[in-house]
Amino acid sequence: MILEILSVGLIISACLALFLDEIEASVTALAGTFLFTALLYALNGAVFAAIFQFAIGVGTLAILFLSGEMLSDKPKTRSSPAKIGALLGGGVFLSLPAIFLSIPGSNSQTFMATDNSFGDSLWNLNGLDVVLQALVVLTVALGIAIILYTRKKGGQ
Amino acid sequence: MDFVILSIVMLGIGIYGLLTNRQLLKVFISVELIATAATLNFVMLVTSAGQGLGQAFLLLAFSTDTAVSAVILALLVVVSKRYGTSNITEILQKVGKNESEVEE
Repeated sequence: MILEILSVGLIISACLALFLDEIEASVTALAGTFLFTALLYALNGAVFAAIFQFAIGVGTLAILFLSGEMLSDKPKTRSSPAKIGALLGGGVFLSLPAIFLSIPGSNSQTFMATDNSFGDSLWNLNGLDVVLQALVVLTVALGIAIILYTRKKGGQ
Repeated sequence: MDFVILSIVMLGIGIYGLLTNRQLLKVFISVELIATAATLNFVMLVTSAGQGLGQAFLLLAFSTDTAVSAVILALLVVVSKRYGTSNITEILQKVGKNESEVEE
């Protein structure tokens, strides 16, 4: 039950963050979004993810408050109670599918029931390092090729 | 309770906000919501499977998210200072005016 309440709160705060007129109110609603997300992570057993989400959210919100004060134009009108009510209702309505519907086969046990051979190969056999190094080398090679092509084209 | 649908709804809200809002900070908030939706989907799938490895990979996703936020915020500050407004419509009008002056 608590997960459903948190999901409703998450969707409502996301709607408020996007569609409220005052930027300070939007950032406050975004704080609620981050908080609900961190709580969902923690209640599902991903404590480290919750801690990181909370830390990153606090940093983002601090910067957003400052830049919101500095950069944004003041709105001519404040959000009316009717608009806030409509946003709350819309948020509740949008969160209903997540509570009552489910995609067949979308729980992770069916996705990953076989084994974690991909993770093992990436982690234990240092495959992750090789993949990342290959990505870096590929990016460097592409960059050099683009620079050489541009110089050759400029020379002609 | 299906977290895939929850993250799809979050993604939809973020994309709708990205397409309809004309304030730069609201666009930034939309991008944050989209990133949160993607991370939420990933975390819920991994944790319900009981694999700690996913949380390790999640650090990479959070780092990328933070880097994207920093770059967007830097661009936002530069554009706002240059054009004196944070409204996308007014910025586009000023850009069009500058281009027509250059052509003349």
